[in-house]
Amino acid sequence: MQNASASASSQIPPLRRYRLRPVDLVLGPVILVVFLMLLVPGWIAPGSPTEFDPMASLIPPGGDYLLGTDEFGRDVYTRIVHGARPTLIVAFAGAVVGVILGTLTGMLAGYAGGRVDETLMRFMDALMSFPTLILATLIVVMLGSNPVNVVAALAVVFWPRSARIVRAVAMDVARRAFIEAAWVRGESHLFILFRELLPSVMNVAVIDLSLRITYATMLSASLSYLGVGVHPPTPAWGLMVKEGQQFIQFASWLVVVPCTTIAIVAVTCVLLGERLRELLAPAHRGEQ
Amino acid sequence: MIQQRLPTGTPIPLPDATLCVDGLSISYGAAKVVRDVTLRIAPGEAYGLIGESGSGKSTIAFSVMGYLNGGTASAGRITIAGHDILTLPDRKLRRLRGPVVSMVFQDPMNALNPSIRVGEQIAEGIRYHTGAGKAEAEARAIELIDQVKLPEPEDIVRRYPHQLSGGQQQRIVIAMALALEPALLILDEPTTGLDVTTEATILDLITEIKQRSNVALLFISHNLGVVARMCDRVGVLYAGDLIEEGPTAEVLQRPSHPYTRGLISAVPSIAGELEMVGIPGSLPDLTEVPKGCIFRARCSIAIAACGEAPVPMETVRPGHASRCLRWRDCLAELNPPQAAAVRAPLDGEKRLEIDSVIRSFPGARRLPFLKPRPAVQALRGVSLDIRAGETLAVVGESGSGKSTLGRLVAGLDRPAGGTIRFEGRDVTALSRERTVDDQRAVQFIFQNPHSALNPHHTVEEIVGRPLRLYLGLQGTELRRRIVEILRAVRLGERYMTRAPHELSGGEKQRVCIARAFAAEPRLVVCDEPTSALDISVQAAILQELQTLQRESAHRTAYMFITHDLGVVRQIADRVAVMYLGEIVELGATRDIFSRPQHPYTEALLAAVPELRPTRASRMRLQGVVPRPTNPPSGCSFHTRCPRLKGDICSQKAPPTRSKASGHAMRCHHDINTLKALQSAELENRTEPARP
Repeated sequence: MQNASASASSQIPPLRRYRLRPVDLVLGPVILVVFLMLLVPGWIAPGSPTEFDPMASLIPPGGDYLLGTDEFGRDVYTRIVHGARPTLIVAFAGAVVGVILGTLTGMLAGYAGGRVDETLMRFMDALMSFPTLILATLIVVMLGSNPVNVVAALAVVFWPRSARIVRAVAMDVARRAFIEAAWVRGESHLFILFRELLPSVMNVAVIDLSLRITYATMLSASLSYLGVGVHPPTPAWGLMVKEGQQFIQFASWLVVVPCTTIAIVAVTCVLLGERLRELLAPAHRGEQ
Repeated sequence: MIQQRLPTGTPIPLPDATLCVDGLSISYGAAKVVRDVTLRIAPGEAYGLIGESGSGKSTIAFSVMGYLNGGTASAGRITIAGHDILTLPDRKLRRLRGPVVSMVFQDPMNALNPSIRVGEQIAEGIRYHTGAGKAEAEARAIELIDQVKLPEPEDIVRRYPHQLSGGQQQRIVIAMALALEPALLILDEPTTGLDVTTEATILDLITEIKQRSNVALLFISHNLGVVARMCDRVGVLYAGDLIEEGPTAEVLQRPSHPYTRGLISAVPSIAGELEMVGIPGSLPDLTEVPKGCIFRARCSIAIAACGEAPVPMETVRPGHASRCLRWRDCLAELNPPQAAAVRAPLDGEKRLEIDSVIRSFPGARRLPFLKPRPAVQALRGVSLDIRAGETLAVVGESGSGKSTLGRLVAGLDRPAGGTIRFEGRDVTALSRERTVDDQRAVQFIFQNPHSALNPHHTVEEIVGRPLRLYLGLQGTELRRRIVEILRAVRLGERYMTRAPHELSGGEKQRVCIARAFAAEPRLVVCDEPTSALDISVQAAILQELQTLQRESAHRTAYMFITHDLGVVRQIADRVAVMYLGEIVELGATRDIFSRPQHPYTEALLAAVPELRPTRASRMRLQGVVPRPTNPPSGCSFHTRCPRLKGDICSQKAPPTRSKASGHAMRCHHDINTLKALQSAELENRTEPARP
């Protein structure tokens, strides 16, 4: 009886299962602002993020400059808004590529099992044994410092992590009878992987993606901070932290503002991931 | 078989009843899952609650324990031995669980903690409630284990749950429940997960406990045979309403409610005289309970008055009440069940020939330098054949290798030795390695329809896939054919766009059957296709399968794997009985179900709890099924055989003895000796067949 009612609730499509939570009231506006920053930064910050103004350097927040100015007199608010693109697009692209690679690898390993699984996953373990930042730095330094290579570095870092998660789910799904049914029907492996298995691991992959974007934001910021990745005068948030830190004693906003922005976006992504998980993958009880 | 403890018609005086449930209503959110249920259980009485899944029987059992699991009791009272359960705070309820009321759950593996020795688990409750010391509690645990008839209790207390078999675990759970001598013992499907021979011994134990003590039993089961064997009185629940109540023998033999009647005719019987009939329709939506009779929508004798006002419980005769306005017409107006059709013997061409097939699963390596665990010998030389249009049932308990055999035939697995020939062609290979025609011709129906359908595909995609794959159908032709197949399994066109989660269990299995038949198969392997379904749905699905077979242009043969001998009796032409990876008996259904049989078959049949008790044998198997890693020497059944001939049984493999009808069994006794042994036992019995 109890099981019946629990499984009934998990059978409602995600959108109809949606219930407004207090956290959504905070999440919604933040996501909206981030999207505006990405799509139309010029609308909300019409000035130039790179234009110097020697007369207005290091003005504290408030007054004419909402978030103050840096040592070259550039408006920090404008730089933050325009910095969303170089920071987040790189992070997003890195996370997407990484999760796609991870999903394919994890699905294959979970479905094939045996030696294929062993080989793939040990390779993934090898990748995972590098500390993330060092691995990413290494890749960018080796390939050359440009946004495409930063995306590649992020992808390589996230690949094994996504693969592990997707593999766990794929192994579980691959044991279910509908996969055996397809197998005994004589379907091709590609059909089984992409038509039978993929839809069942998609939920997990999407949720994983939202979390990977969080890490990617922070990692790309760290790369910028280390000086690999995007170059000045691009207003990437990590780069702003790096440039601002030399003035930290008397112009702390140069560090605090971009750091806070990174933190807000990261936390938003995590919460978004949590909400997605609640909506997409409620515990499938009574459906084993 | 059913013996009345209480004289019929004596209402139990209120203060004397152990359990009083009065006007109990429970809802989960908007769903009113239990409505105005009133029942009494006297000390020493066994009360059975029966009904399909979703009828609210477990909800009532849990609420009696004081556990509502997020539900609310909107009305009513539950009193156990004077304690008002629903008003007590948690702290006080905890004191009652054990000494006053306790519960045995369906799955002993979930009820026991896997990392604590069973002795400590039993002792824990004793120490908590009585404040007994460690040694004292352990002594009591040993005593209890002895009471539930486990051998060497001093050894058992030190074991972990995984070191015990399912039946032994359930005995431990029963020992735990009895530890504090509760006034009321709730048994929630206590034998559902167990094999039939184990079930029989557990039921014997519960009967004995009941006779020995004055405990009141609330017995929850969907198995009418079990209830018929165990209970003095029975209550029938439908969608949260108690619709009939009375002495077991009377309710089951003269049901006075169309639903009870339907349930009873849906039960497949090993006696096999009657055709089973399903109940059409499904449970109503309990968020909007209809005003009148809850069963009206599925009832064939409903009249206008049934929908107008709530139907009261009417007394059929003292102690027997029914919530039906037309209970008087119930026996007369419903179609009497028809005698099962006798199927003509089949002599078509051989469709499937299995010859001395072997399959073992190598044991896992523990560490590189240690020996690997011994291999599990799942099949040890199995030979059989199936003719066109025939249904061959493969029966056996868990671990007999019956499912492995089915998987080999379907090509889900590859045998280690022997050959499998389909229509004369060697198909001893994985299905992927077979020709497309062989892939199409051999289809498989899975046990659990819930996992056999991809939750992300619609019914149209699922049923259409074999048509695309094997027949290359597309567009309107594909659609037309899908509709045709769905109609054949009694699902209409409107099901096309549904996803599996929008279907009931029975509907899902129909989709699975539709998918199998879309390929126009010539052999279908059915692996326990109804064991995950309710009894009323099972009857309909089995009929569906029989109809499809009759109407199939290819004279489709079935290999029907099951543990349910009642189902076998209803649908099989021939039966193969498996024990520890071997076929011990193979023959026509009527031969298998009439004496003499192999001792194992005899024990299997004797263990089936029957609704209409007719079988005479009371043979019980002792001990547990030997490990398939190391099957016994000689005859593999000799460790449990009640008809041992002597040392020869453990030394030499038994010869195959056959009768003219193609009935064959492997036993050291010859057929006439077995016949004499079985008849002698029947004649010697003086007392009636109450185990």
